[in-house]
Amino acid sequence: MNSSFVENGFIIDLSNTKNTAQLVFELSSIMEHPDVKGKRICLKLGDLDLKQSQLLSIKALIESMEATIAFINTSSEQTEASAKSLGMILSDADNDSEVASYVAEERRDVEVPETVPEIEDVQEEVKTVEIHPEDEYTSQETISTIEGIADTYTEQSAQELKEVIPAEHFANDFERLAESEGLYSHEEASKYILLDTGDVLEEGAEENTTDTKTLPTLYLSQTLRSGQTVNYEGNIFIVGDAHPGSEIIAGGDITIWGILGGIAHAGSNGNISSKVRALKLNAIQLRIAGLYARRNDTLNVPYVQKTDEFTPEEAQIEDGRIVIYKKLRRD
Amino acid sequence: MTGRVIVITSGKGGVGKTTTSANIGTALAKEGYKVVLIDTDLGLRNLDLLLGLENRIVYTIVDVIEERCKLKQALVKDKKNPNLSLLAAAQTRDKSAVNAEQLKDICNQLKEKNDFVLVDCPAGIEQGFQNAVAGASEAIVVTTPEMSAIRDADRIIGLLATKEEIESTKLLLNRVRPKLIQSKEMMSVDDVVGILEIPLIGIIPEDTGIITSTNKGEPIVNDENALAGKAYRNVAQRILGEEVPFLDLDEPKGFVAKVKNIFAKLKAKV
Repeated sequence: MNSSFVENGFIIDLSNTKNTAQLVFELSSIMEHPDVKGKRICLKLGDLDLKQSQLLSIKALIESMEATIAFINTSSEQTEASAKSLGMILSDADNDSEVASYVAEERRDVEVPETVPEIEDVQEEVKTVEIHPEDEYTSQETISTIEGIADTYTEQSAQELKEVIPAEHFANDFERLAESEGLYSHEEASKYILLDTGDVLEEGAEENTTDTKTLPTLYLSQTLRSGQTVNYEGNIFIVGDAHPGSEIIAGGDITIWGILGGIAHAGSNGNISSKVRALKLNAIQLRIAGLYARRNDTLNVPYVQKTDEFTPEEAQIEDGRIVIYKKLRRD
Repeated sequence: MTGRVIVITSGKGGVGKTTTSANIGTALAKEGYKVVLIDTDLGLRNLDLLLGLENRIVYTIVDVIEERCKLKQALVKDKKNPNLSLLAAAQTRDKSAVNAEQLKDICNQLKEKNDFVLVDCPAGIEQGFQNAVAGASEAIVVTTPEMSAIRDADRIIGLLATKEEIESTKLLLNRVRPKLIQSKEMMSVDDVVGILEIPLIGIIPEDTGIITSTNKGEPIVNDENALAGKAYRNVAQRILGEEVPFLDLDEPKGFVAKVKNIFAKLKAKV
């Protein structure tokens, strides 16, 4: 039995058990094995009907051995509903290549081969990404020159800001904003968060939907601090955080591999198909083309813990207002 | 209507100019007066954070000066009090983006439609200070009972005396810790007033509530129970010309000592 599991997870197949008592007995005897500690477990429950409370006890049993349930495989509708209500992940097949099977005696030989082809697939992918020494050299060269560009842009920005954004670009009516306060709020448990949204373009400003893929991109690898500005006619890509008080203004998309805390203005020349993306959108204001959204007053999160887990977020214009899409967490 | 333009300055940084501006402004607005706060700390703005208005700023004072928007458009209304508005500083520019004449012009425009224009001055005695002072006719010098802050306040009072436009200069003593004064570890109010020789307009006790209020973007005058909030409300009353006794920050003592104390403070005020 020991030879069949690797790394940090495995499958426990209990689909041959006939009732809950037998299941718990089987499971506890498997869980007593010292190698189970700290592992991610895929639980196969077959067609056994389990109530929420029973499933919770099973979860507690597994967690008492310092292991966690990665996902559950079941053919019973009741068990499926129970698992969903407990927020457990359901899976049809053992699709996690890291998970090796730890099968209750009878089924072992059936389960093992299933995972093998997947592991082979992963290895093939790895081969294509092999790094050659020459590549490494060229990529480093590129980064150093791009950082040089970054400095000049930060210096020039104040001048450029004036040229790129005409005053009438943002409609500014604080009376109206004050009235609309509380209209939009943080929608929980939905796939997107709405912010307080501002006004539309004033008459005369030209909206366009230029494909941002056709625009040049400025690549920066640095932290933008308070008071620093980056202004570029094309897309801007930043590896690092943009701190509160910084400003990023792009003709196209803004993508930040980090936390966006400052002001970001995508599509500054009226491109309404521009988007703002970051690992964490914590911007005090988001501006896309002629629209702007400010952070809801009720959302009091000025500081983001860097130890937090982030799910990438993307802001875009939808039906005349800025909407943020957030990828759903799977746990 | 011609409003009063008051500059809040200190020389030294970190003594509480911005906190004072936010609180006095809020207190005056709560009394029903129309108040505009101007943040002149270009490049290091903070006043918007203290008022919790950062997310509303679209135009700044630099946009007004460079004619990208009208003055009225750049005024950010307070969330709670419609009498209070803020003219924010630009974060991405520095002090040289504005000159004294331009700021004076803005102050003059604002005082026509408001009862009070409070100018939050940056630290230092360079252009930022010169700009902030330009439009004002009154000044409040903020200091703490520390030698370094008092030395800088003294320098500022000297500079203010050379400005013809400044008609009155008052002292606000911030972060006072009565226990330390009692144990002779901190200069007393009398000592500070004795050195600086200008009339006192307020004594604000050290209050940990200031830290939370700053982080929340909610001035402490809105907290009815906070001692510092009460002290700031009293300052607002004194600005309005009312006689309000200074808060007795000392620990309870004998009756005679209390009376002596009141006399000492009255003397200091004169």
